[in-house]
Amino acid sequence: MASQPVITVSSLTKYYGDFKALDSISFAVGKGWVYGYLGPNGAGKTTTIRTMLGLLKPDQGEVQITGINPTENPVQALQSLGYAPELPTMQTFFTGEQMLDFMGKMFGLATQVRKEKIKQLLDLVGLEEWGDKKIGKYSKGMVQRLSLALALVNDPMVLIMDEPTIGMDPEATAHFRNLFTTLSKQGKTVFISSHLLDEVQRICTHVGMINRGRMVFDGPITQVLETFTQQWVIEAELKKVTKTMISALKKLDYVQNVKSEENKLRIELKEKKDLRGEISSEIFKHKGVLLSLNLHRVTLEDAYLRALKGGQ
Amino acid sequence: MNALRRVAVIIGYEWRRALAKKKFIALVILVFAVQIMIFAIFNYLFTNPPTGLPTPLQEQLEQALEQTRPLMWIVEVLAPQGLFMSLVAIMIAGGSMSEEYEHGTADILLSKPITKIEYLTGKYLGGLLLLSFVTALTTMLGTILAVAFFSPQEHLQFIPHIYLAVLYSNLVFLSLAFMFSEVFRRTTLALLSAIGVFIASMMISGILSGVHGLTGESLYLEVSKWLPSWSVSNFPSFLMGELLNEPSIMFASLARGDLLFAGALVAVYTTVFIVVAIVRLVRSDVTKRTD
Repeated sequence: MASQPVITVSSLTKYYGDFKALDSISFAVGKGWVYGYLGPNGAGKTTTIRTMLGLLKPDQGEVQITGINPTENPVQALQSLGYAPELPTMQTFFTGEQMLDFMGKMFGLATQVRKEKIKQLLDLVGLEEWGDKKIGKYSKGMVQRLSLALALVNDPMVLIMDEPTIGMDPEATAHFRNLFTTLSKQGKTVFISSHLLDEVQRICTHVGMINRGRMVFDGPITQVLETFTQQWVIEAELKKVTKTMISALKKLDYVQNVKSEENKLRIELKEKKDLRGEISSEIFKHKGVLLSLNLHRVTLEDAYLRALKGGQ
Repeated sequence: MNALRRVAVIIGYEWRRALAKKKFIALVILVFAVQIMIFAIFNYLFTNPPTGLPTPLQEQLEQALEQTRPLMWIVEVLAPQGLFMSLVAIMIAGGSMSEEYEHGTADILLSKPITKIEYLTGKYLGGLLLLSFVTALTTMLGTILAVAFFSPQEHLQFIPHIYLAVLYSNLVFLSLAFMFSEVFRRTTLALLSAIGVFIASMMISGILSGVHGLTGESLYLEVSKWLPSWSVSNFPSFLMGELLNEPSIMFASLARGDLLFAGALVAVYTTVFIVVAIVRLVRSDVTKRTD
């Protein structure tokens, strides 16, 4: 890591009674990263986040946000942090504007700054026409959007979000994914706990995987795919498959194996490269007529499942 | 932002949170209704005094009514004190901490730059401020009714004293409900426990006083003095007795008692309850949403 990490979690252990919810978790998140925190239900994702916010006291280990321990010094540690909880609930007697104003006050923002921020954030999350309505009248998706606006009220350097796009429509989901990427480009650190692997693969630069309270992977997203990938496969559908074509393909240096079934070929590659051009050339050489040609790379889902399997 | 400003933000929040509750508003209206009812009863007694009683009793009653009339503002202010104002205090504080855990809003509030002590202080002071506001309203309403219908009223210079005494004595059940709210982190349990302690204390106190009356054994009275409801009910009355300092006034002389002990007991109970709440909050994790 080039610079000092923004979030440092060291040997974090947390018990609920006799149950070990976190087992010596360690990871670090750098400035400008979008860190995806993955794990199945009950793996310890929310416990990790609540410990990072100082809501839970670790039994062992330590958390530091911008070098400050939030349990010991919440005022300093949380000043530049924004947090959007999973399925947020808010005081329904507030309007959206009042809730944002209250949060602005919690961060000590001046009246004029709060006024401007409220308008700006309501526009950003698409609630500009709902600002003066009581939160009790909001839909789940709208509460989720307001929660994201609240997390941004102090213009945080670190944004921690627990399942941020749950309950949102596809348009809003896409909008917020773009927003997270934009924030990261502005040098802000975004920490996202999610079970939406597609979301993590699209926007995250780094990934942490947790299972049964243990860290099973921590690193750049490219590395997770690399580490847990066993093979890339090209699937071809042809008008007709011939034996000479199959044996020619098998002789290629970068081909591990070729399997055929009726007019379909499954070509397993030795290298993790997109070799569709080379494969199609070879098929054309043997007068083959291609109907379709697809490359099957390992997805984050494959990697995730393998990582979890390995971690058990 | 300094600590005081952060506490002030939570006070404002707590104020709004409590005022948004219909149950609380209903209870305050009930307190006003009790005051109006007391006014109506005394108004009836003054205009239609009971007759046909044995002569000494009739004389005593007439004398008491005559002495009470210029001090009706005190009756109006103190009448809801024993029962209703304690319930208002319990209603204010019983959900103060627990509702935040139940709704999951404690996570949102405590993940902001604020210490747990500042948060708790803001919550407690917010409730206290609200109680002081309701007490001020009942004091005003009682005094206005008395001045408007039973003029002239005497000793009105003691309004601030009585107001502060009522507020101070109600700290006991405000703090008790606040402590239960933080310790149990369940609003229903906190409210039921606080109301349970309050009613049990009143009942035991009444029984002990009754036994004392029958047996003349002072031990029963001494024991009842240690119950929380005793100091809550008696502190403002004792103060009133001290302030009026007129033994000829019947109910003022009845209200004479150990003011210092009652005051000290309010302070001790309040301190203990607040300290328990602080220890619970500071030493334990923030409970996850439960509703």
